[in-house]
Amino acid sequence: MGERGIGCVLVPTVLSWRPSEINTTDRVPTAGSWLPGFGTGDANGMIQPATERRLDDEVVATGEEFPVLKMEHVSKQFGATLALDDVSLALRRGEIHALLGENGAGKSTLIKIMTGIQTQDSGEIRIDGKPVRVTSSQDAQRLGVAAIYQEPMIFPDLSVAENIFIGHRNRGKLVDRRGMEREAAEVLARLDVTLDVGEPARGLTLAEQQTVEIAKAISLDVRVLIMDEPTASLSAHEVQQLFRIVHTLRQQGVAILFISHRMEEVFEIADRVTILRDGRWISTTPRAELTPGSAIRQMVGREVQELFRRSRREPGAVLLAVRGLCREGVFQDVSFDLRAGEVLGFAGLVGAGRTDMALALFGISPADAGEIELEGSRVTITNPRDAMALGIAYSTEDRRQLGLVMPLSIAANISLPSLPRFLSPSGMVRRAEERDAAEAFRERLSIRAPSVETPTSSLSGGNQQKVVISKWLETNPKVLILDEPTRGIDVGAKVEVHQLIDDLAARGMAIILISSDLPEVLAMSDRVLVMREGRQMAIFDHHEATQERVLSAAMGQFGDILPEGDGIDRIAAAEAITAIDRLVAGGRLVDGERQ
Amino acid sequence: MAREILRRLRSWEGLLLVVLLVILAYNITRVPNFLTIGNQVNLFQLGIEKAIVVLIMTFVIISGEIDLSVASMMGLSAAVAAAVFEAGAPMPVAILVALGVGAGFGLLNGYFVAVVGLSSLAVTLAGYVGFRGLARLLVQDRSVGGFPEWFTNLGQRGLVGPLTLSILIFAVLAVIASVVLHRSGLGRLTYVIGNSAQVARYSGVSVARTKMIIFTMSGLISALAGVLMAARLGAVRASTAEGFELDIITVVLLGGVSIFGGVGSMIGVLLSTYLVLNLRNGLIIAGITGNTQTGIIGLLLILSVLVPNLAGRVQDRLRRRQVDPSMRAPPSGAAEPTRSQAAPG
Repeated sequence: MGERGIGCVLVPTVLSWRPSEINTTDRVPTAGSWLPGFGTGDANGMIQPATERRLDDEVVATGEEFPVLKMEHVSKQFGATLALDDVSLALRRGEIHALLGENGAGKSTLIKIMTGIQTQDSGEIRIDGKPVRVTSSQDAQRLGVAAIYQEPMIFPDLSVAENIFIGHRNRGKLVDRRGMEREAAEVLARLDVTLDVGEPARGLTLAEQQTVEIAKAISLDVRVLIMDEPTASLSAHEVQQLFRIVHTLRQQGVAILFISHRMEEVFEIADRVTILRDGRWISTTPRAELTPGSAIRQMVGREVQELFRRSRREPGAVLLAVRGLCREGVFQDVSFDLRAGEVLGFAGLVGAGRTDMALALFGISPADAGEIELEGSRVTITNPRDAMALGIAYSTEDRRQLGLVMPLSIAANISLPSLPRFLSPSGMVRRAEERDAAEAFRERLSIRAPSVETPTSSLSGGNQQKVVISKWLETNPKVLILDEPTRGIDVGAKVEVHQLIDDLAARGMAIILISSDLPEVLAMSDRVLVMREGRQMAIFDHHEATQERVLSAAMGQFGDILPEGDGIDRIAAAEAITAIDRLVAGGRLVDGERQ
Repeated sequence: MAREILRRLRSWEGLLLVVLLVILAYNITRVPNFLTIGNQVNLFQLGIEKAIVVLIMTFVIISGEIDLSVASMMGLSAAVAAAVFEAGAPMPVAILVALGVGAGFGLLNGYFVAVVGLSSLAVTLAGYVGFRGLARLLVQDRSVGGFPEWFTNLGQRGLVGPLTLSILIFAVLAVIASVVLHRSGLGRLTYVIGNSAQVARYSGVSVARTKMIIFTMSGLISALAGVLMAARLGAVRASTAEGFELDIITVVLLGGVSIFGGVGSMIGVLLSTYLVLNLRNGLIIAGITGNTQTGIIGLLLILSVLVPNLAGRVQDRLRRRQVDPSMRAPPSGAAEPTRSQAAPG
C-alpha cells in the first residue's frame, strides 16, 4: 500500500456507470417515492421495512376491470430451456402493471411475444377477449401494442415530427410538413409535453427522446404500452417527468406494462405487480398488498440462509501480491495480498472495475501501472498466456460469449486452455486422455450430461458454468479468479459451486471471487475487497464484513456517517437498508441482465 | 442446438450422397465404362487443381475467414514458375520459387488478417486483384511454354498406373487434411476460432498464430495447384485459373461448411467435390454448355444454403410438437411448492 497512486489518472467519464448508481443520492427520497421507514433485518438477514404508503394513488388504479390484453397459459421454449412456462397475465385498461423478476425470469421473452418479435409455442393472447395471433411487429402495431425501451430508437437526423410519424405507412399526405408538425404537436399535447417538433431529434435529451417514442406509440393509437426499463438511464428529475406522462396515459385508458429493476420506482408507480421467476408466474398482487421484502423473496425464491457457509481455515503464505495496479480510466490504485487457501471476495456495484481488474491480472487488458508479485517475484502479464503460465486462471462472467465454444463437446471445451498438453508429438489430439480428463471433472463437479461428448450448448446454465470452471481447473491454477460464477444458475448448482469453492480453497488454491450477489460474497469470502468507481474502497476481514459496511463502501455516500465501531446510528441504518434493498433489487439484477 | 447442427450435418452428407448416386447413375447409364479407372482419372483431371485448393479452403472457411485470392495465386505461381524458367533457371528452382512466392503472400494475407485485424474479405480481395496483376506483369499477354518434357509429363501422364501426380497429391492431401481437421490440435483450433475467436482468446489460444498458419498454407497450396496446372496445360497465360475461386468456394459450401465458420466436415467437402465433378461431366454428356452449367451449380449452391435452413425449421417444429407436452408437466408441478414457500408471510 506504500506505493499508492503510481502515476495513473482515473477519468470518471470513461466509466461505464449506469446513471442509476450515480444518481442514487438525489433519487432516494424523491416525493411520492417509496419511503422506507426504520426497519431491521429479519432472522434471515432479509430486510423487512416498516412501510407507510400513500393511499391517494391507489384510488386511481381502478379503471375498468376488463382486460385489454390477456395472455393465457403462454409457454416458450428455447433449446432445452423453457423460457416461459404456462404464464398468464392480464393488463387492464388504465392500469400500470409492473413486471418484476430476476434475470432469466422470462420478462424479455414475455415482451417479445407480446410485440410479435417471437411467437409462443403454446398458449393464447387475447385482445378485448378475442384471441389474436401476434406473429410480427406489424401485427402488434395493428393491435395497438407498442413497446419502448431503455435506449430510444430515434433517427437523429429526422425532425421530432418525422420521428413521431415514422411508423405510419401509406400516409402520403404527411409529406405535407406543416400538417405533420401540427399533428405531432397535438400528440405531444396529449402527453402534456412541449417540444419543438421541427427540430432534428439529435439535440434531444434521452428523456425527451423517450417522450418522442411514447408519442410515436400514441400516434398509432396504442392501447397497450410496454415500457422496458425506461428509467434506467434517466436522472431523478427526468424519471418524475416520465412518471407524469405515464400517469397521463393511464388516465387516458392505456394499459401500461412497466418493467424496472428499481424497487422504489415500482412501488411508486405500479397499480399491480406481477412477479416471474424461472419462466413461471409466481404472483400478481395489488401494490398495496405487497412489501419490497416479499417481492424480493418471490423474485429470488430462496432465503439468504440457504447459502452455503464456508469452513474457516487459516490461510497459507502470500501467493499473489498486487500493488498500486492501475489501468487508466478503468481502475486505479488497487493493492491487495492473496494467500494460498484464501477466498478474496470482490464486492461493488456494476461497473465498479472489478472485472477490469481481473482482466488485467489475466492479461486480456493489461494494467498500465503498478506491480504484480507472484510467490515473491515480480511478474509482467501482457496476455492470457503469460497469466496461464504463471498459474493464474480467469473464469469469465459471460460463459456464453466468452466461456464456451457452444457447439463443441464438454471434453473439447475442458481441454481447450490446456490443449498443448493433450497433443501427441505429431500434433494430434489424444482423445482418450481428453475424454478421461473430462470424465474426471464430470464426476467431481457432478456435471449432468449424457456423456462428455455432449455439446455444451445443450447443457443448463449451471452445468455450463461447471464446464467453464473445469476447463480452468484442468490448467492446475494457483490463483483462480471466478467472475460471477453463480449468476443465472439454479439454486442447486449454486450450492454445488459454493461447495467447490470451499473445497478448492481447502486444497490451497487462492481464489478471487467477484460477485454482485452480496450475501454470497459475504458468506464465501475470507476477506472482502470493495471497489467503487474504479477505486479500492476497503478490505474487510470476514468477521467485520457486514452487509451495511460493504454497501457503504460500495456506494460511497454513507461512508462518513458510519461510525468506526459497531454502533450504527438510526439514520445511517435506515439509509443502508434502503441501499440494501436497492442493491438486492437493482444492482444485482441489473448486473445479471447482461447475459 | 449443436446436436441439431450435427444431425443436420449428418443428414446433409447423406443428402449429398444421394444426389451423388443419382448423378452417378445417370453418368453410368449414358456413358459406357464410366466407372473404369481411365474414365475416372479423366474426370478428376478436369478439375484436379480446384479440388486440391478446395481442401485448404475448407480450413479457411471453417476458421471463419475467406480467401478470395486463391485463383489469382494459382495464376501468379504458374506465371512465376514460367518467368523464372524463362530467365534460365532450372525447372525445379522455378517450382520452388513459385511455391515460396505462394507461401510468402499467404503469410502476408495472414498477417493482415490475423495481426493487423483487417477483414479477410478485403485483404484477399486485394490479393485477388494484386496477384493477378503481378502475373500479368510477368507473362504479359503471351503464352509461355516450352517446359521440360519431364515437367509436362508429370502433369499429363500417369505416374502410378494411370494416376497422375496431381491426383496422387490430391489423394495424399485429402487424407492429411481430413486427419488434421478432425484429429489434430490445429484442426480443433480451426473449429474453435470459427465458432468464437473471443472464447479462444479468453482461453489463452493464439488466434493470430492459427490464422497465419491457415493463410500461409492457403497460399502455398494454391501455388502448388498453380504449378500443377502449368504442368498439365504445358503453357502459362496471365489468365490461368481465372475465376476458379468461386468454383472452389462453391464446392466447399456445398459440402456443408458454414460460410459463418465453425461448422463443416472434410467428408462432406470431398463428397461435394466428387459430386460437382460428376455433375459437370453429366451436363457435358447431356449437351448442356458452360454458362448453363455454371447456372445449375449456382442453383445447387443456393439449395445448399436453403435446404439446411428449411430442414432446421421443420425439425424445430417437429421437435417442439414432440417435446412440448412432456416438458410442461414436471416443471409446473414442481412450481407449486416453491410458490407457496415464496408466498409472503
